[in-house]
Amino acid sequence: MIEVLGVHKSFGSNEVLRGVSLDVAAGEVVVVLGPSGSGKSTLLRTINHLEKVDRGFVSIDGDLVGYRQHKGKLHELKEREILKQRRHIGFVFQNFNLFPHLTALENIAEVAPLADARQFLARVGLADKEDSYPRQLSGGQQQRVAIARALATRPKVVLFDEPTSALDPELVGEVLDVLRDLARTGTTMIVVTHEIGFAREVADRIVFIDQGVIVEQGTPAEVLDHPAHERTRAFLSKVL
Amino acid sequence: MPPSGTLTVVSTKDRSVVLASLPVVAARHPWRWVGVAAVLVLAAQFVHGLVTNPAWDWPTFARYFTAQSILTAVGTTILLTVLGTVLGFALGIVVAVLRLSKSPFLQAVGWTYVWAFRSIPLIVQLLFWFNISYLYQRLSLGIPFGPEFVSFETVELISPMGAAVLGLALHQAAYAAEIVRSGVISVDRGQLEAAAALGIPKFRQFRRIVLPQAMRAILPNAANEVISLFKGTSVVSVMAIGELFYQVQVIYGRNARVVALLMVATVWYIILTTLLSIGQHYVERYFARGDRR
Repeated sequence: MIEVLGVHKSFGSNEVLRGVSLDVAAGEVVVVLGPSGSGKSTLLRTINHLEKVDRGFVSIDGDLVGYRQHKGKLHELKEREILKQRRHIGFVFQNFNLFPHLTALENIAEVAPLADARQFLARVGLADKEDSYPRQLSGGQQQRVAIARALATRPKVVLFDEPTSALDPELVGEVLDVLRDLARTGTTMIVVTHEIGFAREVADRIVFIDQGVIVEQGTPAEVLDHPAHERTRAFLSKVL
Repeated sequence: MPPSGTLTVVSTKDRSVVLASLPVVAARHPWRWVGVAAVLVLAAQFVHGLVTNPAWDWPTFARYFTAQSILTAVGTTILLTVLGTVLGFALGIVVAVLRLSKSPFLQAVGWTYVWAFRSIPLIVQLLFWFNISYLYQRLSLGIPFGPEFVSFETVELISPMGAAVLGLALHQAAYAAEIVRSGVISVDRGQLEAAAALGIPKFRQFRRIVLPQAMRAILPNAANEVISLFKGTSVVSVMAIGELFYQVQVIYGRNARVVALLMVATVWYIILTTLLSIGQHYVERYFARGDRR
């Protein structure tokens, strides 16, 4: 359903992605692991075109993201069209990025009808917090509202960029519970995380990225227990 | 040297017990009281002077303070302030958007506007608009360098009041643009990314996400500008428009009660500035609503 092919991306002279290709099937949960600076976040951000790619393409259900093919060239789409495409791609940020001047419910209602917004808030277990402002919520609660907001446009895939990295340790569990629930109900997800335990339990496939390339991928058992590549072993020995 | 280890321990312990039971006394600040006394004496002298010095001429003040001509002039001052603020900030938002645009051309247009209208003193600009008919006797709509469709006498189109509003609004817009821009760039980048990731249309992003947050940084400066404009309207007295300052000048030109009439204007300016400051407090509180815990 999602196809990433030969994506290159540089920031100045720093080549962050060096030809990354990845296919994700509908309903699949892919966890992306890798050391910091390996390009995992950049990869996620190219999938919803928050970053433009230098070469390669991303497509969802066969539709190119951010570009239109015409006479042997890829033409960048107008911002309005890109914004429309992004409604099919949910994105959850490391530091939540809730709108601080809007209540939990208003944050979600910004992109969905009010009745739907209430449902999504209930789905992450925060029905009683609809009138709270983000600053009145704990980090875990804020991230759950942010997840509800990302789901509210009924996207085909939800991208999670280190969703628990900004949380106090005792708040990580409640967010992972929400992710588990989404995975169980068939949501297509790509999750960048450092939570190896979560990856082992929930991922259909683990992708290990280092220095801008996919080093190896496979089931949790393959990648975590029998890594084929030296770099994967070195990374896992540090985080396990 | 303590006489023996055991004794020291016991005495330290005793000392701690004593210290823990002592009452706490806050530091004294005798000089503050001296300062308070000095200020009170000065304030008393000032009030005493206001009451007893006949040169303040309070009876004249009282006669004119609510005179019809003064009330009308206050109305004109308020009208100029409201029009200058509304039109100035409306245009200012547009200019700010130009300066924040990704297009280098639009950026340059916005920058040039701000540069031009901040460079020209308000009073000079007002006199230009007032005398525009010397430069252009007729204004017309048509195809540039081609035929004209409609045409007006400049004097008919731009009245003195129109020239004043135009001048104040154009001047205000340059400052408003920079205030709005400072507010917009103070909004966290993550907010824009979140709005973009959610696919919220561009104009709606600005209106619903960016502007309400920018308002927190914009408001104190904007209130400064409005209050400054409110008193700045006295500059249009050079165009013989019957606003508050022009009106008191006319009256004291007739009766020579300069101080009393300047006090009439001063008190009105103070009253209205006070009302604006109170309004500012409530508007700021509204935009701080997500900040409460």
